[in-house]
This record gives sequence, C-alpha cells and structure tokens, in this order.
Amino acid sequence: MSSKINSNNNNNHRINGQISLQPCPHLADFRSRHRSNPFRALQDCLRIKPPGGRAAIRRDPSEVPLCGACGDSGGGRTRLYACVSCAAVHCHAPPGGGPSHAAAHAESARGGGGGGHEIAVDVDRAELFCCACRDQVYDRDFDSAVVLAQTAASTLHAPPHSVTTPTTIRLPQPENLRKRRRVDYRPWTPDPRERSLMGSSSSPLNGTVSDSDSNSDSRSNDLLPWGLRGLNNLGNTCFMNSVLQALLHTPPLRNYFLSDRHNRFYCQKKSNCNGNGNGDGIVNRRNASNNERNNNSRMCLACDMDAMFSAVFSRDRKPYSPAKFLYSWWQHAANLASYEQQDAHEFFISMLDGIHEKVEKERRKPHSQGNGDCCIAHRVFSGILRSDVMCMTCGFTSTTYDPCVDISLDLEPNQGGSAKMASTKSNHASNGEADCLNSSQNSGISTLVGCLDRFTRPERLGTDQKFFCQQCQVRQESLKQMSIRKLPLVSCFHIKRFEHSSTRKMSRKVDRYLQFPFSLDMAPYLSSSILRRRFGNRIFPFDGDEPEASNELSSEFELFAVVTHTGKLDAGHYVTYLRLSNQWYKCDDAWITQVNENIVRAAQGYMMFYVQKMLYYKASEKQVAA
Amino acid sequence: MRPSVNRPPTPDVHENQEKEPTLQETINIKLIESGEKERLMELLRERLVECGWKDEMKAICRAFIKKKGRNNVTVDDLVHVITPKGRASVPDSIKAELLQRIRKFLVSAAL
Repeated sequence: MSSKINSNNNNNHRINGQISLQPCPHLADFRSRHRSNPFRALQDCLRIKPPGGRAAIRRDPSEVPLCGACGDSGGGRTRLYACVSCAAVHCHAPPGGGPSHAAAHAESARGGGGGGHEIAVDVDRAELFCCACRDQVYDRDFDSAVVLAQTAASTLHAPPHSVTTPTTIRLPQPENLRKRRRVDYRPWTPDPRERSLMGSSSSPLNGTVSDSDSNSDSRSNDLLPWGLRGLNNLGNTCFMNSVLQALLHTPPLRNYFLSDRHNRFYCQKKSNCNGNGNGDGIVNRRNASNNERNNNSRMCLACDMDAMFSAVFSRDRKPYSPAKFLYSWWQHAANLASYEQQDAHEFFISMLDGIHEKVEKERRKPHSQGNGDCCIAHRVFSGILRSDVMCMTCGFTSTTYDPCVDISLDLEPNQGGSAKMASTKSNHASNGEADCLNSSQNSGISTLVGCLDRFTRPERLGTDQKFFCQQCQVRQESLKQMSIRKLPLVSCFHIKRFEHSSTRKMSRKVDRYLQFPFSLDMAPYLSSSILRRRFGNRIFPFDGDEPEASNELSSEFELFAVVTHTGKLDAGHYVTYLRLSNQWYKCDDAWITQVNENIVRAAQGYMMFYVQKMLYYKASEKQVAA
Repeated sequence: MRPSVNRPPTPDVHENQEKEPTLQETINIKLIESGEKERLMELLRERLVECGWKDEMKAICRAFIKKKGRNNVTVDDLVHVITPKGRASVPDSIKAELLQRIRKFLVSAAL
C-alpha cells in the first residue's frame, strides 16, 4: 500500500477536498528513508481522549511533555513538537515569538550528518509539522492511522494497539478515481441571430419602456417587482397560497418555469397519446391549448405550476385563483382533498412529491432522489443527510445517507439552564449579527442557528434505544450525530411547532419565538466540517466527502421567504413574507403589501426558505427594480 | 564564631533554576497532570468561537494569504501575523472567566 501511496503523493496534496501544490521535500526525504512504515513508532504513542475525542501524542499516557532544551511545557507562545525520527520533544515558536528549539534540533541533526529530523509532530494535536519549511505538512498514511485510532479507540476499553481496524471508513483511494464535478462559468452574449430570435419570440419581463404610456395604474404597479400577485383564498387554502408564494419566488424554480423548461402545452401532448395533430412534433400553442381543453383527465402538477408562473409573471396584478392547481393537487392527494385547513408543510411535501411522481412516470427510469437529477422539485430542494451511529463500547461507526427535501427542526426546549445553552452555542458567531447574538445569549431566545447546532450535535442514545452494533453483535449504547452531506440549492427549514404528546394524548402548538438570520452559513453543519471537528486537519479522504460540498461559496445561503402561522393548532392563518430585491413583501392571500424587515424578524416563522447565495440575484434584481 | 567559612558554596543561580521549577511551572504541571488544562483549553476554544474571535482570526489569515499568494505562506507566517492581534482581541470577560477557573483550581489543589 505504501508504495502506491508514494506514487500518488508526489505532487498534489488534497486536504479535505482542496489541493495544496507544495510537497515538502523534507517529508518526501523522510518517507524515502523509512520505506516500510515511517510512523510505526508514533502509532503506539497515539492517545485518544474518549469518545471521539482529539488525538494527542504521548509516550506514556500520563507523560507531561517538556521541551528538551528549555523545559518549557508548551502553551504560552510556543507549541511542543516531537521529532518523528528520534522522539525528542522540543518547543517551537514562530519568528519573533522566541527561539525555536525544534528548528535548532533539526539543524543540529543535519550538521552532524544525520538529517531527516525536520519532520515533527504536534504533541497535542497529532498533526505533522516541518521544522525546516516551518509549515504544517500532511501525510496520507499518518493521517489515516490517526483517524483509524480515533474511530477505533473511542472508549477507554479498547487500547489503540489491540484494535483490528473496526471501521467503515474506506481506505484511501487514488485521487483520480474521485470524480470532480465542477461546471465552469462561461459568459454568454447572444450573437445577432440569437438576439433577433429572442426579440421575435419573447417579451421582456421589464417591458416598462414600451408600455409606459399606458394608464397610470400600471405605472404604479411597475414599481413593484415582477411576479408579485395575490392568490385568492379558495376556502381555507391559505396553507397552499403561502407555500405557493414561496415557490413562485424560489429563484431556481422560477428560472426553470419561466425559461419554458416545462411547457404545459407540450407536456399535455406528450402524455396524451391519442391526441390530435401531434405528428410532426412541432409545438403549436394554439392547437395544443385546444388539445388541453379536450383532455383534462391527465393531471400534472408541473403543468399547473407552469400555468401559474405564466399568470403570476404576466403584467396582470389582479389576484389570481389557483383553482386548477388545487384541483390537480386534490387528485394527487385524495386524502387531503377538502375545504378544511391543512398543514402548509404537509402540502409542501405532498406537492413536491406530486411533481416528482409525474416525471417519474414519464421517464420510467430509475433515479436516485438524493442526486437531485430526477425532476425539478428534487433538483432544487433535495439534499442528503448523513447519520453516524457510533457504538460506545467498541467504536464501530455505521453511516447512513438519506435524501431529504427539507430539514425539520425541533424548537429548543424551554431555556432556563445556562449550562445547556453553552453547549449549543458553538457556531453562532459565524452567522448572527453581533447584537442578536448577545441578546440571545442573555435572554435565551431560540435561534435557527441554535436549532441547527442541536440538530448536528452528537447525541447519546439512551439505554432504552440501544443500537445493534455489527462489531459487538449485540445492542449497545451509542452516539448519534447528524450532518449534511449535500446541501440543496434551496434549503427549506420546517420548525416543529405542532407538538404531539403521546402520554397526554393531545397535540398543541408551540408559539415560542424563533430568531432567524437573513444570511446563513451552512458550512458548520456539513459532513466535512463535522468530521474535521472530530478528526482534526487530515488529508484522509473522508467517506463521501465531496469537493463541491466543501466549497465555501455554496454553503452561504440567503433567506428569501418565510411562511408564518398565527393562531391555534386547529384554526389559524398562514402568511408569507417574500424578500425581493432586498425589500420585504407580505403576501396574505390576495393582499400584498410592502413591509419593514423588523416585522419579518418579529414574525413567528413556521417554514424558512433559504437559497444558495450565488443563486440569489440580489444585485441584478435591484437593477430590474430600479 | 565564623560559621560562614564552613558553609558549602552557594550554588549559582542557573543551576538552582534547573533543579527547582518556578511557581509558574509547578502550577502548569499540576494543571496538565490533573487534566484541568485540557478542560480549560476546551472551554477557551468554545468561548473564542462563540464570541467571533475565531472568525476574526480566520478573516485576517485569509486576507494575508490573499495578499501574499497561497503558495508563499507558511503556518509560521500566519501565526506570526495574527499573534499580536489575537492576543489583543480576546474579550476581557473570557480572560476573567478563565482566571476565575484557574483560581478555583488552585484553591482546590492546595487543600
């Protein structure tokens, strides 16, 4: 194995999906001197604090490492490093921070004709350092040994050397086998032919220039962003209207339908085999619409979405009645077909399912939902969750991946104990505004970030829900941790406000306020980050770690819609707040009003829709509005 | 009486230091041996993340790497650049909390 690794190791080091181009000559030299297993001696010194703790280097578990030259115990301005060749411990400080005895050690060894003492290991982090380059270095063998020890020796019961590789983590694979998916950005400007084609067969969205001479009513309307149109309540259908408003302004979904990717006339024709005049395959809208009238039996939610997008983005501002859509949805979800109040979240799931089902039927091809290549609903909303369950006795970890179209979050339990809060507060700074952060820390207000922290926190499964460990072959106490392996383009967070207590046999609504940020960084909740927190900086290719998932750009999200609920469990009202060109609009069925962002911040969020920042066309939408 | 004549020569300062650790070193070793140091470091890590200190340092590092080009920067350079800023920007409340914890430990260790 090691020779194979060597050949791969020559040029590019990949650290959690990123490439660093500088191989350290000293590390390469060290490796070539110790061909068989250069870090064998170190492996016996690896100490892991249980369970799933950090790795450290100690010759003896109770050793207090001190610098061999000055007796410094590390901390302060220096760190302690053990030479991987001779195990001598020395302190190291960056230039200006004092002497570096580790560098001096490497230098003196070279002076004595020895050499090869440049590589040292940080005794508290078990990370490699080159004293000559004065930089952190990465070695695949070393890192995989550390990760292995960490996953294996998760408890005190199992000393690291008695372990026979009980891990699900795959061995390092050659890098070229890992597919790197990336779409290069290519700017596009239409050539004259394309320009004339676009001009002749489309009307520009912001066609205010040509129509500014029409009546004053339309001119005042033009100040509003495109696509803002009220939806009539068809009898307790605010649950539907609220979700539809959010979906109508979901950037990737809007772009899909407005760019004619799902043409309702064409779609009808395709599914209707006994239709008339479909021989040549050229779509004639007028013929097709006749066709549509003849054939109402085949329902397609995507077609109704297409119709709704056309209607909403027409210049008509009169409230629109999504009656046809409602009818189609009723046919899809017969158990929900009534004029009673429904749950908006249930509707959301059900209608995405409806769009998906239709496409599935059409293509008759197996698709994995998690990849999001099956239909527009899943391409936009579907992500993949990762769940690790680690046995507390032997450290065996089983990992499962589940596709999801949204993330349901528990509201944090009533705050009172500050100790509990502290542990859930690890990632706030990267997200919240500073003042919000302080206020939430003081008064114990629930935050969306807090909910996400709780969602991805390692959770000790109780004795009543022991998990079957494949290694021990019995049910054992275990540690469970959720993380997000793949982020969707649009993240929908659903807050579990409707609580059901099985002991009291009753349900109730939780009215507690939840603070949510307008910009959200999801990076801390990605599997790659969660694993990095568990294992430190390693080049071990973590199972399922994708380069695109660790791309920081795509982990930043912007809020664009909030579905709020007021009232009780059995009777209430849904209202959606939309953020268009950085201005908030309240969509209350047929009525749309511009509101201050403070009203949105104070609202009781039930579903929050976040879109990846690079798809949130903040700047360009402003131009359109201006 | 001239007792000073028979007294063994006073060891010089350097030798003395090597044999007997200073108070600070003793405390440090006690902290490590009891595992309290690790707990303190964990607490400090958590607090520095919470208050945004870590993000601030990350941003400084990023800016520095951007300026220098990512192939011309070592960990040592980064530590050198952020150390003065990092030390200066640790909130006083965190320092106070840690000091409180260390005091408590010393009292309990002395008993």
